[in-house]
Amino acid sequence: MPTRQGRIIELLGRIILVREAMISLIALGLVVLFYFTSFQHKFLCADVLRTMFTAAPELGIIVIGITILMIAGEFDLSVGSVSGFSALIAVELYVLGFNPFLALAIVLGMSLAIGAVSGLIRVKSGVPSFIVTLGMLMLWRGVIYILTAGSTLRFPVGKTHPAFHNLFTGNLVGIPVQFLWFVLIAVVSALILNHHRFGNHIYATGGNVEAAKAMGVNTNRTKVICFMLVGALSAFAGVLRASRVRGFYVQQGTGMELMAIAAAVVGGTSLFGGVGTTIGALIGVLVITFLEYGLIVSRVPGYWFRAILGILIILVAVVNWLVERKRES
Amino acid sequence: MKEASLLEAKEIHKWFAKVHAVSGVSFTIERGESVGLIGDNGAGKSTLIKVLSGYHRPDKGEVFIEGKKVKIDFPARARALGIETVYQEQALVDLMSVARNMFMGREPVRRAGFLNKKKMHECMGVLDQMGLSIKSPDVIVRYLSGGEKQGVAIARAMYFKAKLVILDEPTRALSVKEAQTVLDFIGQLRQENVSVIFITHNLHHVYSVVERFLIMRKGKLVEDVKKEETSVEKLTEVLIH
Repeated sequence: MPTRQGRIIELLGRIILVREAMISLIALGLVVLFYFTSFQHKFLCADVLRTMFTAAPELGIIVIGITILMIAGEFDLSVGSVSGFSALIAVELYVLGFNPFLALAIVLGMSLAIGAVSGLIRVKSGVPSFIVTLGMLMLWRGVIYILTAGSTLRFPVGKTHPAFHNLFTGNLVGIPVQFLWFVLIAVVSALILNHHRFGNHIYATGGNVEAAKAMGVNTNRTKVICFMLVGALSAFAGVLRASRVRGFYVQQGTGMELMAIAAAVVGGTSLFGGVGTTIGALIGVLVITFLEYGLIVSRVPGYWFRAILGILIILVAVVNWLVERKRES
Repeated sequence: MKEASLLEAKEIHKWFAKVHAVSGVSFTIERGESVGLIGDNGAGKSTLIKVLSGYHRPDKGEVFIEGKKVKIDFPARARALGIETVYQEQALVDLMSVARNMFMGREPVRRAGFLNKKKMHECMGVLDQMGLSIKSPDVIVRYLSGGEKQGVAIARAMYFKAKLVILDEPTRALSVKEAQTVLDFIGQLRQENVSVIFITHNLHHVYSVVERFLIMRKGKLVEDVKKEETSVEKLTEVLIH
């Protein structure tokens, strides 16, 4: 006869079998934990929530891109640098007198091209994307230093072009607009992944590149387009950041690549391609954000954030692996 | 005048650097005919069918489909001509659903490239007809048995009305029972008047389902014989010669 304990373990096991359910549980657990540990239970107050929903989209938009690219079986380590470089160019153009909307459009085009270059080098040369984009990471960060010589630029777009500021980094009925952009981008990418022909090609390319090729999927083109998407999303996130903090500083976007991959992995995206969802990416971003701000409002020294995140990544990866093994049998 | 064969290959040559993988192979396949292509490892069977399925381009030689000369430069071209190849390892994406696999690369779409899921669920008809008991088109392929996977790949060829299905070692790595299921699927292709090329080195599997044998050795076609003119013993002799 199954004991009560046994039944509970079985039930938990079943919940863990659904990846999204597992991450949601972690996210919920963090919310409950930080509610009790935070100073005067401030974790769920409007100010802290607004701060989180203002900061999360800049990482989140990049994570959506990284998730799609990882499903297609590739990586991009250059997202932080491309994000920073794009923000720099947008701000420079603005300083030169360009309309910020035009500057954003130019920068989006430029980042699409940067993504295309990474992707083409990857598929034409066969060099792993890890190496190609590591090179891109250093290249664009280097160019940032060359162009700015380390100085900070001001981007007072809120004063000169309120429409731009309101559309991208303002507030709508109390919700930060960039969070709405994040949700919109997530919804569009979910539609593409689940309901569009291109989504089928992405999963096929990452799942079994030879089978996809044999069935006539243009896997190289699929990968290059995914690299371009990541480029454009990184650039968009970079401009959002510059608009929010009203300036550009040379460190902008540094370390973003590892955070983005961490969020994708916490969200259930496989490092081997073929597995991942937008909803997973979204929750992965929330988990990381809750962790970062939850520790702050609980008055834990900031250094703990990375250490705990590290443990979390390993835990999630190990649990995912165990779940896969259980499913296999 | 005799009606043109479904497929005719004339003097096909393929070199890889200095290796003459396929050397001057000629044969025909008739409509609805099933043919076994046999030979030891490295005999050139795989290279030959990769030429027919658009993976490799022949260095010399011609291919005719229904009497017309064709150039099969890439896999999509082969499928447009009605040649569907089922590879052992490369047929399906394990992590994707049955329906997504069935329509991979040929997705039915509505406006702006969005998938027509209703149409995609139609594949259940072919699967049921083949006697595959798959619960739903959303079942992930990874959870199917080896035989069921081959069945899905064959059903895909049937759904898209292939004229010629090339099966690359479809029974390798399968249990005896599952291999029999796959052989039954091949029988169904014959009933639908689909031609079959069955590549294997297991004579016993191929013997029951094909009408003719092509035997390759060291890149050359050394035997082209009807089943009634030979026997397992004779074929074995040619093979191990």
